[in-house]
Amino acid sequence: MDIFARGHLSRIAALALASASLLAVTAAEAKEITIWCWDPNFNVAIMKEAGARYTKTHPDVTFNVVDFAKTDVEQKLQTGLASGTAAALPDIVLIEDYGAQKYLQSFPGAFAALSGTVDYSGFAPYKVEAMTVDGQVYGMPFDSGVTGLYYRKDYLEQAGFKPEDMQNITWDRFIEIGKEIEAKTGKKMMGLDPNDAGLVRIITQSAGQWYFDKEGKPNITGNAALKAALETVGKIMSANIYKPANGWSDWVGTFTSGDVATVVTGVWITGTVKAQPDQAGKWGVAPIPALSIEGATHASNLGGSSWYVLESSAEKAEAIDFLNEIYGKDIDFYQKILQDRGAVGSLLAARSGPAYEAADPFFGGEKVWQNFSDWLAKVPSVNYGVFTNEADLAVTAQLPALTQGMPVDEALKAIDAEVAGHIQ
Amino acid sequence: MALARRGGIGRYYDVNGWLFVAPALGLIGLFMVYPIFWSLWMSFQAGRGMMMKFAGFANIIRLWNDPVFIKALTNTMTYFIVQVPIMIMLALILASILNNPRLVGRAFFRTAIFLPCVTSLVAYAVLFKGMFALDGIVNSTLQALGIIASPIPWQTHPFWAKALVIIAITWRWTGYNMIFYLAALQNIDRSIYEVARIDGVPAWARFTHITIPLLKPVILFTTVISTIGTLQLFDEVYNLTEGKGGPSNATLTLSLYIYNLTFRFMPNFGYAATVSYVIVVFVAILAFLQFFLARERDK
Repeated sequence: MDIFARGHLSRIAALALASASLLAVTAAEAKEITIWCWDPNFNVAIMKEAGARYTKTHPDVTFNVVDFAKTDVEQKLQTGLASGTAAALPDIVLIEDYGAQKYLQSFPGAFAALSGTVDYSGFAPYKVEAMTVDGQVYGMPFDSGVTGLYYRKDYLEQAGFKPEDMQNITWDRFIEIGKEIEAKTGKKMMGLDPNDAGLVRIITQSAGQWYFDKEGKPNITGNAALKAALETVGKIMSANIYKPANGWSDWVGTFTSGDVATVVTGVWITGTVKAQPDQAGKWGVAPIPALSIEGATHASNLGGSSWYVLESSAEKAEAIDFLNEIYGKDIDFYQKILQDRGAVGSLLAARSGPAYEAADPFFGGEKVWQNFSDWLAKVPSVNYGVFTNEADLAVTAQLPALTQGMPVDEALKAIDAEVAGHIQ
Repeated sequence: MALARRGGIGRYYDVNGWLFVAPALGLIGLFMVYPIFWSLWMSFQAGRGMMMKFAGFANIIRLWNDPVFIKALTNTMTYFIVQVPIMIMLALILASILNNPRLVGRAFFRTAIFLPCVTSLVAYAVLFKGMFALDGIVNSTLQALGIIASPIPWQTHPFWAKALVIIAITWRWTGYNMIFYLAALQNIDRSIYEVARIDGVPAWARFTHITIPLLKPVILFTTVISTIGTLQLFDEVYNLTEGKGGPSNATLTLSLYIYNLTFRFMPNFGYAATVSYVIVVFVAILAFLQFFLARERDK
C-alpha cells in the first residue's frame, strides 16, 4: 500500500514536471509584442495591419496594440523610463519626431539601436536625422508629415480663381487671395489656433531652418526663416483672414464645417478631409506657399512619428525583426496603408507602387499621392533638437503681442530669452 | 505599577502599541516621508532625464532668470489675491443667507451651491470650455441681454482667460467653503442675534460684528486650505487650455509648470522639484501670516 502510493506519487510528480516544462516551452515559443501608440484610425489600425502581416509568416509572434491618447503615451513612457522599471514599458512605442531626441538623449540606453539591422539609406533623410544620436540610429521611420495646401475649388471659383492660381505661390500672394475670397464669398482663408505654433514650424522648416541649428544650439534671433514665419503669421492674423480655433477639434471643425477655404498642414489630415463625403470633388491639393527669402521651398513637414524598440524588452529581437520585415521592406504594406488610411510612409522605395499613381476621385481625380511623395523628397532636413516643445510654447506666448503690433525682432528676443531659460 | 505603565511615559515602552501602529508608520514613512526628503535632495540636482548630477544651488539661481517661472508665479499669486477673498466673502454671505430658517427652499439652495464641488474636475472644465466658447451660451446670453456688444474672447485673450479661470474655481469651491460656515453658524446661539435685533442692530452690522468674529477660527481654516488649493491649482487650467496655460502663458500656474517640466519638456526632475518647493515655501509663509494675523485680532 505504502509502495503503491509512493509509485503513484512519483508518477504524478513526473507528469507535473513534464507538463510544466511543456508549458514553459510553449511560453518561450509564443511571443507577444506589446505596442503603445495613439490615434485608432491611423497608427493603431496601421500597426494592427502590420502585425497581421508578420503573424502570417511568423505564427509564433502575436501583437497587442494598445491605444492611448498621444499625451498619455508620452507621459506613461516618460514615467516608466524615469522609474527604471522595464516591466511597466511596452516592447515598441510610437514617438513623434519632435520628441525623439529628447527621449534618446535624456534616457540613454533605453532604446535599441537599429543601425546594424535596418538599411536607413532607403528612408527620407530628415526622418533618419531625427532619430540619430552620436552616429547611432534608433527606431524605424514611419509616417511622414509632408505638408500640402488643401483648398476648396468651389470657393476659389466663386472668387474668380482657378486651381492654377494656387500652384507655387508665395505667402504674400496667399494672403491677397485670402482677402479676395473673404470679400467675395464671406469665407475665411484658413483656421488658426493661436495656441498652436504648427504653422510657424511649417513655414520655418520650409526654408530649411528650425528653432535650433545643426548642432542643436538655439537659432532664434538671427533666424531669417523664423522671422519671416512670424511675420507671415502676424500678417495672416492682422489681415483677419483666419477663423480662430481653440484646440485641435475646434480647428478641425473650421474646415469640416466648410467655413474656411484652405488647410495648410501635414498629409495625415487627408483622412479627416475625406471624412466629409458631401465635400467630395470640391477639394484640391497644391504645394504650400513659399517665403520670399533665400532657401525658401514649397515643401515642409508637420508632425510625423516613428517606432522605437525598448532596449529592456524581452521580445527585443522579434520586435526589431518585425519592424525591419514590414516597415523596412514590405512595399505592398505601404500601398495598403496609403489606400486605407492615407499614410505616406517615409520608405522611399514604396513611392513607386501602384497606390501612389492612383488618381483620387475625392480630389477631382488628381494624383495627390504622387504629388505628396514628390514633395516628401524635397522636405528640407533640419535638426529638431531636444527643446522643440519649449520653443513652441515660447512662440505661442508671443503671437498675441505680435498681432497687436509688436516688432518681430522684439518677439524673437523674448522667444530667445524664454528658450534660453529652458536650456540648462 | 501596572496602572502606571499604562498611562504616562510608560506607554511609550509598550511593544504591543508600537506593533499596532508599525504598519501605518511604515507606509507613511515609505510613501510620505521618504518622497519628501528625496524630492528635497532632487531639487539640488540638475540634468536631462535620468542623467542627473548634483548642482548645488543652480536650480534656485535658475528660478530668478526664468521668465516662465516668474510668469507662472505672478499668475498663481494673481489667482490667490483676487480669487480667495472673493470666494471667502461670497461663501460667508451665502452661508448666512442660507442659515436663515425662514428661507423657503433652503435645502435646495444648499445642495445646489454645494453640488459643484462634487462634480468631476475634468467634466466641469470641459463644460466651462463649451459654455465660454466664442459662440457659447455665456456670450450669446450676455449679448441677448444687451450687456456686451461683441462676444468676449474668454479663451483666446490673456486677460479674459485669467478671468475665466477665476470664475471657474469660484464656481467650484464657494459651496465647499460655505458648508464649513453653515456648520459653524449652527453652533452660534440664535439668542445672540435675537438680542442684537431687539437692540436695533441692522442686518449688515449683525453680519460684520457678530457672524464674522464668531466664525473667525473657521474663516482662518478655510483661508488656509483655499490658499493651499489655489497655490496648487492645476486641473482647471490644464483642462481649460489643453494643458498649455495659454494664451501667452497668461493662465500658466506653478503646478502646470511643474507638470510641463516633468512630462512635456525635456524632463528635468531636479528643477521641477525646486519649483514644487517654491510652492511649499509660499504655502508655509502664507499660512503662517494668516495664523499670525488671526492671533493678533484675538488680543
